[in-house]
Amino acid sequence: MSTVDMEETGVPAPAPENGNAAKPRPGANRKFRLFGKEYRVFDVLTGFAVIAPALILGAIFVIAPMFISLSYAFTDADLFALNTAKWNNFANFASVFTDPKMWNALGNTCLFVVLAVPLQLGVALGLALLLNKDVKCNTFFRWAYFCPVMLSLAVTSFLWMNLLNEQEGLFNGLLMSLGMKKNQNFLGSDYGMFSIIVVSVWQGAGYQMLIFLSGLKNIEPALYEAASLDGANKWQQFVHITLPAILPTTSFVLVTMLIGAFRLITQPMIMTPQGAADVTGRETTSTMSWYIYQQGLISGKVGYSSAIALVYTVFLAAIALTLRKVMDVKD
Amino acid sequence: MEEVLSAEGTQAAPAASPENGVKPRKKWTAKRVTLRVLLYLGMSVLALLFLFPVWWMVVNSMKSYPELQEQLSSLRTFLPGNITHWFTSYGNLFTSEAMSGTMWRAVLNSIFYCAVTVTGVLLVNSLAAYALSRLKFPGAGVITTIILLLILVPVETSIVPQIVILSRLGLLLPGTRILGYLLPGFVSPFYIFMFRSYFVGIPKEIEEAAEIDGAGKFRTFFVMIIPLSKAIFATVAIFTFMGAWNDYVFPQYIFSANVELMPLQVFLQQVNKAVPKDTAMVMAALTISTIPIAIVYIFCQRYIVEGVSFSGLK
Repeated sequence: MSTVDMEETGVPAPAPENGNAAKPRPGANRKFRLFGKEYRVFDVLTGFAVIAPALILGAIFVIAPMFISLSYAFTDADLFALNTAKWNNFANFASVFTDPKMWNALGNTCLFVVLAVPLQLGVALGLALLLNKDVKCNTFFRWAYFCPVMLSLAVTSFLWMNLLNEQEGLFNGLLMSLGMKKNQNFLGSDYGMFSIIVVSVWQGAGYQMLIFLSGLKNIEPALYEAASLDGANKWQQFVHITLPAILPTTSFVLVTMLIGAFRLITQPMIMTPQGAADVTGRETTSTMSWYIYQQGLISGKVGYSSAIALVYTVFLAAIALTLRKVMDVKD
Repeated sequence: MEEVLSAEGTQAAPAASPENGVKPRKKWTAKRVTLRVLLYLGMSVLALLFLFPVWWMVVNSMKSYPELQEQLSSLRTFLPGNITHWFTSYGNLFTSEAMSGTMWRAVLNSIFYCAVTVTGVLLVNSLAAYALSRLKFPGAGVITTIILLLILVPVETSIVPQIVILSRLGLLLPGTRILGYLLPGFVSPFYIFMFRSYFVGIPKEIEEAAEIDGAGKFRTFFVMIIPLSKAIFATVAIFTFMGAWNDYVFPQYIFSANVELMPLQVFLQQVNKAVPKDTAMVMAALTISTIPIAIVYIFCQRYIVEGVSFSGLK
């Protein structure tokens, strides 16, 4: 605040609503300089007043959690006795890497990402390509594929939990009416993760389909006409016109989907509340976000949970950076 | 930006354009007919795959539970039940002993949380964006940079540190829990960014005219800027509403001990685990919690498409 330099002094700032003046009021024009920039007193005051709610809430609920996470990772903080937290340096991190449950959760999450993301991307693109054809009842098909997106993750999970129910679910009912073995446990350790993958793709694909569809519509029809005049077949047109045109859309969709998939928590939490443990006690549907949640909020080990979250953030950042590099090369 | 969901007749890329005679209508050869039939068949099967669970949910919410159980193993499970039972399960949901009348509370809670969140989000973020785009004040540049960073860097923002902060601020006590649930949802770097990009595009002359007429900054904002940016306000309101209505993990933790404060999505768990189990009632609860979102998607497509294409620009 050293370089404050009032240009016009002694003019009292009038109230904002006080105006029948034909030119800008003198008070509003009062200026001062700070770090070589010129500001109007009135703008500065209004500016701070107007941005204050966002600034305060943002500092408390967006910025502070990051620092809390960062610093608690080096303590033995307990949710139910936050005041007695003591530094324990790298002890948390030492246990993170030797925690079989963490590795299990990481493995499950990666399995979900590796299977669900390409599947959903493929389904979404396939549906968009079908809808982009000149078909009757286009609107009906579009709404049909989009329909599951209208269900929230919680509704989707509860619905499919009932559909896949071991005792009286629709699927077991259908299997029985087809004369097959009844009472398949679709949410047990054998099929649990695959059920979650199928359900997630079913719920989410319609959304990305819409994004792809608007990308496809932006392609000039003239491009295809020119290509077919030059004798290019449908496949060549797809590879040389359609694919390059939707590549930016694809990379955007892919990155958003990856981030979402790595944060999987609602579906397994609702559909397999016990984590679908197998005979050895390994929870086959435990995921990283869920494990961080359980450690921090259920067991109350905030310190340990923050350490896992920190390691996971670094892991995700590394993936995001790699991906960005790969895509830049492609472009 | 046209409505992607229900726009009639897509401009299929290699489509024939009979009117201007550039390309003659293709002949119906046997091969083409077969391909068309296969295309429609495939698309219909896919439509069936995407629709049948939702269809089953709605149809079975309109049956009594014994009816549902009885028809489960036959194809009748996909057909509407006896018309006298259409609203039995909905009635049970709101009045039955097992639910002890708390379903009403859940619906009202959800409406209340959504209303407060939408109002808060619109006010807090649009005002911040207005300050950043129109008012010169020290620190504006730094704040803008921080907001961009927050959007670009995907941090694993788990709910654990947020709960820690709420607990430290005394916002998780039985009496303050509602505030603790609502406050963190008000500010969003992404919505500030969205508002800011929109405000920057509004010509400055409009405001200068208002200022010359003697309107203060606040008045200018409410009288000039908001009416000019209805579209972005509607988009943000719709996305906030859908997010707030569908929110699960956070309220599920905060209100785990308060059935009477639970929003609908969290209350679903209570319906689902009620004893004796009533699948028809569960389906009724699921249908009710989906209706508002379906209405929004059907009537507010324009704004949703705008929001989707905006997030695509990032």
